[in-house]
Amino acid sequence: MNHFALTIIGRDRPGIVSEVTEILFKLGCNIADSSSSILGGQFSMILIISHPEYTDRDSFGDVFAPLEKGNLSVFLRTLRPGGEKHPELQGELCMISVYGADKPGIVYQVARELGQRRVNIIDLNTKLVGEETQPVYVMMLEAVLPEGISVDDVEGWMDSMKADLGVDVSVRSIMAVEL
Amino acid sequence: MAVKKVLLYPDPLLKQVCTEVDVVDDEVDDLLQDLVDTMVDAGHSVGVAAPQIGALRRAVVVDVSHSKLGKKQKNHGLICMVNPEIIEREGETIVREGCMSVPEYTGNVTRAERIVVQFLNREGKLQVLRSEGFEAIAIQHEMDHLDGKLFLDRVSSLKTDLFRRKK
Repeated sequence: MNHFALTIIGRDRPGIVSEVTEILFKLGCNIADSSSSILGGQFSMILIISHPEYTDRDSFGDVFAPLEKGNLSVFLRTLRPGGEKHPELQGELCMISVYGADKPGIVYQVARELGQRRVNIIDLNTKLVGEETQPVYVMMLEAVLPEGISVDDVEGWMDSMKADLGVDVSVRSIMAVEL
Repeated sequence: MAVKKVLLYPDPLLKQVCTEVDVVDDEVDDLLQDLVDTMVDAGHSVGVAAPQIGALRRAVVVDVSHSKLGKKQKNHGLICMVNPEIIEREGETIVREGCMSVPEYTGNVTRAERIVVQFLNREGKLQVLRSEGFEAIAIQHEMDHLDGKLFLDRVSSLKTDLFRRKK
């Protein structure tokens, strides 16, 4: 079965999810993992879908045209075989919050520190909040630490960045328990 | 006794409300032993509830003393509980829970930080104990099974909304 990544973005209004999923359902597509959220005023959907016969973008024809007429942008990408499988993530899970007066480079500098050390970011949200005259930037991320790296280590790297960036940072391990 | 198969959702037994036990007799004792055996066999999981092995009776076993996290905390070792009831709860904590009966999915669940639980022990005697931390979470999770509730029914926030509240 071929898998595709489908991304849909447009001005938020009621009914987007139902319009999108009606098309997918009528086509005979399966929705595997998906995540949708409002970002700014835009509703954005990211879905991994599959279809028993479709092999590429062309198989879908112009089925998404009605969405585009409704001012939604639609992107479809064919995944290579295996691209739909969730990797086995080994290692300690941690959550990092970074927040402070808004300024350029917060995301990049935090991500660079982590990327250089092979910390795998698996979820990332940022939001601009606060008063217009005093915007505050909030960044929350979840990451898998490589072997040999502890939450304390991450805290250490973040500490040295705090002053440079003028932000507050906290790092904590996520207790995930199977009961 | 015996290691039983842990039922997986969508087995309908996992959504049933279990019946109270009248007397802790040999049959109930056997059930408790099955629960313990099953828990130990499952890579020493921290707890199993009767409906997870297909018995619709109000019985659970919990033992966090072998888990990495539980070892570091105060705990009561193996606890066998019949007709458990939480008579006091205090504080709130968010835990990312997973469940043997719902593999490969985790969700953030709000639980009481400290509880007082009353139950009949294996000897059929009424016992009350105070529990906190991981053990209290495990007890609450297992007890939910007795009412046909899965952690999926209690997910309180999406993944990235996790804030650990500290008192």
